[in-house]
Amino acid sequence: MNIEHVSGFKYRIPKEGKMRVDAAFYASEGILEDLKSEDYASLRQICNVAMLPGVVEPALSMPDIHWGYGFPIGGVAAFDSEEGGVVSPGGVGFDINCGVRLLVSEMGRKEVDPSEGRLVEDPQKNRLADTLYKSVPSGVGKGRKDTAFSRVDIEEVLLYGACALVRRGYGEPEDLENIESKGRLPGADPKEVSERAYQRGVSQLGTLGSGNHFLEVQYIDEIYDEEAARAYGLEEGLVTVLIHSGSRGLGHQVCQDYVERCMDAAKRCGIELEDRQLAAAPIRSSEGEAYLRAMAAAANFAFANRQLITHSTRQAFASAGFDPGDHHLRVLYDLAHNNAKFEEHDDREVLVHRKGATRAFGPGNEELPERYRSVGQPVLVPGDMGRYSYVLAGTEGAMSETFGSSAHGAGRKMGRRAAKKAAKGRNLRRELEDKGILIRAANRATVDEEMSEAYKDASEVVDTTDGAGIGKKVARLRPLIVVKG
Amino acid sequence: MIRMLDHTADVGFELEAPTLEALFEGARQALLMTLFEEPPKGGEEERLVRLSGPDRETLLVRWINELLFFVQEESFVPAGAELRIREQSEEALSLEARLLGVPLDLEGHGWQGEIKSATFHGLDVTPGKDGWQTRVILDV
Repeated sequence: MNIEHVSGFKYRIPKEGKMRVDAAFYASEGILEDLKSEDYASLRQICNVAMLPGVVEPALSMPDIHWGYGFPIGGVAAFDSEEGGVVSPGGVGFDINCGVRLLVSEMGRKEVDPSEGRLVEDPQKNRLADTLYKSVPSGVGKGRKDTAFSRVDIEEVLLYGACALVRRGYGEPEDLENIESKGRLPGADPKEVSERAYQRGVSQLGTLGSGNHFLEVQYIDEIYDEEAARAYGLEEGLVTVLIHSGSRGLGHQVCQDYVERCMDAAKRCGIELEDRQLAAAPIRSSEGEAYLRAMAAAANFAFANRQLITHSTRQAFASAGFDPGDHHLRVLYDLAHNNAKFEEHDDREVLVHRKGATRAFGPGNEELPERYRSVGQPVLVPGDMGRYSYVLAGTEGAMSETFGSSAHGAGRKMGRRAAKKAAKGRNLRRELEDKGILIRAANRATVDEEMSEAYKDASEVVDTTDGAGIGKKVARLRPLIVVKG
Repeated sequence: MIRMLDHTADVGFELEAPTLEALFEGARQALLMTLFEEPPKGGEEERLVRLSGPDRETLLVRWINELLFFVQEESFVPAGAELRIREQSEEALSLEARLLGVPLDLEGHGWQGEIKSATFHGLDVTPGKDGWQTRVILDV
C-alpha cells in the first residue's frame, strides 16, 4: 500500500492490485501515528472497499477512521448503478441509521447546574439525572412499559418514520423540519422486513441501547463561528441535550438478514469479496432493491426512535421541575451516520454509503432547512463522556471532495476489554463527578468501557476535519449529565 | 480452548475444539462470557433449536445470533447446550440443540451490554491440528 501525502491533512492511496479506484483519507500527524500503530489495518479496509464494482473515485475515510468489520468505521463510498454499482449491508452497518440528535434549550447552564459542577449532591441536577435515566430506558431485558406499539403501529413507523410519532403527539411538527430527510426515508417497504425484525422492534421503540449509545445534557462552552452559531441559534452557556441511538434490534436483524442474501447475490453475480462481511449486491438486482427498501424501513424506525426519546426527554425535564415553556427543547438537527442514500454528486446520481460518517452538506443545498441554508447543515460530532462534543457546519469542501461527508465522532483507541482493565481499581463515576459530570448507567461495565481514555480526543478529529475543509468548527459542548444504557 | 479477543471497535473470540459440536458449544460459552461477568451455569428452562445453513460459517453465525435472540429479546439465558450437527453435503448443514437455561437477571449475571450481531468478518471454520478452529468477531 503506497500512501501519498497530497497536502495538509489529505492523503491518497493510488489504486493497485484489485482496487478499481484510488482511496483517500484525512489525518493529522497524531491520527497517522495511530493508523501506523495498527499496521494500517483500517486503511487496508478502505482499499478493500475500493475493489467493489461500480465504486466511484475515491473510496474515502474520515479523520475518525478506525478498524471495523468489512468497511472501516469512518468509511464513505459512493456507487454508480449505471456502472454496475453495488449496495452493501455491511457498508451501512448493523445499526442502520444510527445517528445523533441535538436539542437546544433556552435555559442557561446555571438553571440546570446552579453550583457549576462544584456540588455533586445538587438536588436539582440529580433530580434531572434520575428522571432522565428512568424516562429513557436502555431497552435490554425489558422494553418500554409506558408506550405500547402494535405490529400495525410499527408498520406505520417503518413507512413514515418520525412523522408517524409526531402524528400521535410525540413531538411537534417543526421537529420534522430539522431532521435529515425530514425524518423519513422514501422507498421503505415494511414487507421486506422479516418477522423476527418486527419481533425485536415492537418493544424497543424509544430505547437507547447500550455500548456507545447515550443521552447527554450539556452546555455550550465555546463558539468558534459566530455566523453559523447565529443561524443555528447557539449561544454560549445554553443547555443542550445530545441523543445517540439507532434502529435497535429491528435494524440489526435487517442487516443480518440481508448480509446473507447479498452473499448469495454476490456469488451469483460474480462479485469477488475480500471479506464476506463486505457482501454486496448490484443496486439494480432483486436483492439490492429489497435491501434498500428494508434499509429505508429500518432507517425510519431509527428516526422514530430518536423522536420518542426526544419526547421522553422533554417530559423528563418537565417532571424534574423545568417548565416546558422555559426549557423549550427544540431540535437543532438530527442526522444519521450509518446509511446508504441516493444523492447527486458531480451531476450524477450515486448511492453514498456512510458507515460511521456524517452527511455534511454545504451552503446552498436545497435539502437543508431554510434557516441553515446559508451556512451549511449542522454536523454533530460526539466526543467521549468526560470531555466534549462539537457542532460543525457542512462545507463546500465536503461537497467537492467527500460526497458531502464528514467525521462522526472521536473514534475508539482502546478495545472494550482493555478499557475495563484500565478502569480496574478506579472509581470512574467519582472521577466524572469531580469534573462536574453526573452519570447514570445501567452497570459499571458500560461506564468502564466508555471511559474517556478509551477514545481519541475529539478535538484532534474536529481540528483535522476543519483543517481539511470538510467541516467547519462552530461550537463546543461540555457534558453535565450522562445517561448510558 | 477459548481465547477472548479485543479490537478497538468490536469484541470477539478464538476457538479450538476436537469436534464441530464442541466448537459450537465453545461459541455459546464465549458468547456468555462476553455478555455476562458471571454467566449462569445450568438451569431448568428448556428450548429447542433447529437451524440449517449452506456452510459452516453461516451456520455458526446463525447459531450465535439465535442465542443472542434468546438472551436479548426473550430474556432467556442458554446456560447449557446439547447439540448435534449434521453435514449432509458440502452445501447443506443442519444443527439441532437442546438448550437449558435460566431467566435473564441483568444484575445477578453481571450484564456487560448488548451485542448487535455476530459478523462474517474474517470468519473461517477450518480443520486445526486437533480438530476445528475459528475466530469470531462480534459487533457491539
